[in-house]
Amino acid sequence: MQQKILEIKNLSKSYGETVALANFSLDLGKGEVLGLLGPNGAGKTTLISILSGTLRGFSGGVAFKGQDLFADRNLRNLIGIVPQEMAFYEELNAMENLMFWGGLYAIPEKELKKRAQELLTVVELGARAREPIKKFSGGMKRRLNIAIGLIHKPELLLLDEPTVGIDVQAKVSILDIIRDVGRQGTAVVFTTHQLAEVEQACSRIAIMDKGTILAQGTLAELIRIVGEKEIVEVSGEFSADAFSAIIRQSDGNGMEILSVADNQAHLAFADSQAIPAMMQHLFGHHLPISDLKIKSPNLEAVFLKMTGRSLRD
Amino acid sequence: MSRTTLIIRNDIKRRLKAPMATILFLIIPLAMTAVIGMVFDPGADNRTKLPPIRLLVVDNDKDLAAKFLLGALDQKELKDMFQVTLTDAAAGEALMRKGKASAMLVIPERFSDDLADQKPTALEVVRNPGEEFLPGVAEEFAATLAVGFSGLAQVFAGELKVIRSVRNLSLESVTIADMTPFLETARAKIIALKTYLSPMLLSVAATTTKKPGQENRPSGFNIFSYIFPGMLIMFLLFIVEPSLREIQNERADGKTRRMMFSPLTGRELVTARIFSGWLLGVLVSLLAMAAGTLLFGIDWGNLLLQLALVAAACFCCAALFAMLNAFFRNKNQAGAFASPIILVFSAFGGSMLPLEQLPAGMRWIGGFTVNHWFITGCRKIMDGHAPVASLAVLAAAGLFFAAIAMVALPRRLDA
Repeated sequence: MQQKILEIKNLSKSYGETVALANFSLDLGKGEVLGLLGPNGAGKTTLISILSGTLRGFSGGVAFKGQDLFADRNLRNLIGIVPQEMAFYEELNAMENLMFWGGLYAIPEKELKKRAQELLTVVELGARAREPIKKFSGGMKRRLNIAIGLIHKPELLLLDEPTVGIDVQAKVSILDIIRDVGRQGTAVVFTTHQLAEVEQACSRIAIMDKGTILAQGTLAELIRIVGEKEIVEVSGEFSADAFSAIIRQSDGNGMEILSVADNQAHLAFADSQAIPAMMQHLFGHHLPISDLKIKSPNLEAVFLKMTGRSLRD
Repeated sequence: MSRTTLIIRNDIKRRLKAPMATILFLIIPLAMTAVIGMVFDPGADNRTKLPPIRLLVVDNDKDLAAKFLLGALDQKELKDMFQVTLTDAAAGEALMRKGKASAMLVIPERFSDDLADQKPTALEVVRNPGEEFLPGVAEEFAATLAVGFSGLAQVFAGELKVIRSVRNLSLESVTIADMTPFLETARAKIIALKTYLSPMLLSVAATTTKKPGQENRPSGFNIFSYIFPGMLIMFLLFIVEPSLREIQNERADGKTRRMMFSPLTGRELVTARIFSGWLLGVLVSLLAMAAGTLLFGIDWGNLLLQLALVAAACFCCAALFAMLNAFFRNKNQAGAFASPIILVFSAFGGSMLPLEQLPAGMRWIGGFTVNHWFITGCRKIMDGHAPVASLAVLAAAGLFFAAIAMVALPRRLDA
């Protein structure tokens, strides 16, 4: 692995009886873009809040460049943060915002101005640098939010769901920016519950649920967990119990149940030849099936295998 | 540029870019002062009356003009306004010292003779320093009397001499025929009278019973200068409060998290916010005071003292809200509590009702409000005195609040 930037060891945090993080451990190297994938309540925001220094009462440790992140406040100056909220001043224009946020890092004005102009070009806001932000679209605001997080050339960038509430085109643009940031040597931690986003932008993916990492690796490594299996998604007006009962009556033939819920189930087949026989079995039991989809192994299948539920659940 | 200065500059810049709220809070107190001033102006009509002014009169003349003046004070309209007590100078001063009167009107010896002889003379008004504006009303009344008596004395100079010469005669010996030419002349003069004559024969010399050596600046009563300081401090609270509530808003929208990742410390942020609130308050106050002078003719007195008072009051307001925000859990709580706190301060502190008309209990509570100390300080300056107590209380309270805020508030921001 490249030079370690971030080392999280046995981080635990509870809210009363609810465990948000349970012995969470993770390493991150220079220039790595880590996608932290998990459903709502997986503990992603808790992790970001602890790393941001806004949440206390946890156990475990976080080292940044080999030093305790919480022991030396100056270390935090090397981290950039992009909160889920639009954390900038809407009364100011994009350039004024960058000058203000950069000013907090005592960057000389001339250098700061140059850096702000460069960043505005990177996030494709160069032509609108002096326009009131109130006129910006959601995607433009998200891009500015990222640019502010990068104004002081951080070594680690934390992004908390940076693509929430924007259209597909804007998402693509933001994911491109995140990838480029990683290429330039900045380590990135990026939380999301969108599978396609981590597939597109991240060099490493960690699947998280119930406060812990279930699996991590590159996309290819994770897909190998599922194996070279065909994934069948079955939808219809059935209950999870009825579906399970019918499946149990079949001989399986190398089939693996990834998830079963009311109205939808996911099955993995090592041998694609076994799929028609299983479908016949299901139809033979008059299961009201309305849709069948056969997919290649993907991250969604990995997630289903690891958590037993889909990200939408 | 320091980080604190950067935040202050940024805050002011943002307020200037979105100035509507500030402008509204500048206009509203002016508009309210105008409306209340017009409604409560004693000269407007008789719907609203001032409390009776306890006026002591020392008659050292005891002649015709003095009797005429005392007779005027016995007329119904003036009786409603003045509670007149005839006394002598020594007893009068003793009553004033005990706070039993608002002012003392001294009619000098030979007052009637001097008027008849067209010689300058002066009515003396001694003001009670313990009261804010009722002595001013008494002084204004005496000034009006002076104008009226001067005019009458000059127009009817001849007639006054005749009256003086016959005042000791038996009225039975004067016939209607004797009086007819005299009355006819007087009537012609009244008809011909268009303007007062000058120079004034009668003037008013006002003094305030104060410590020896202190100068007094006579001032007339202006209802607007009575109302406006209260309105100003109430809306100053409304103007300063959002600058400090911004801390809660920024906590909610992620800006604080972002700031705390920069070298900026929680204390620097709190300091910056107190001073940006303070600066904004001072700037708006100065604008409001200038507008008050232009629109209502308010004489603020010593401007340097007013500036010091405004600076102390704005600091106290900003520090107070910084401290309160250390105890508010979130922006909703801050938003919900801010306006009621301001309104309670304003009600008890004299912004909504004159301090003199508040019940004693309310006045006592009012002593714990910024409004009370600002209003009393403002009036002191308008009356020509230094508002030492107000400045001391506002500055000390501001420092106390700021100290608590500097300890408690950063804990909420900086983990």
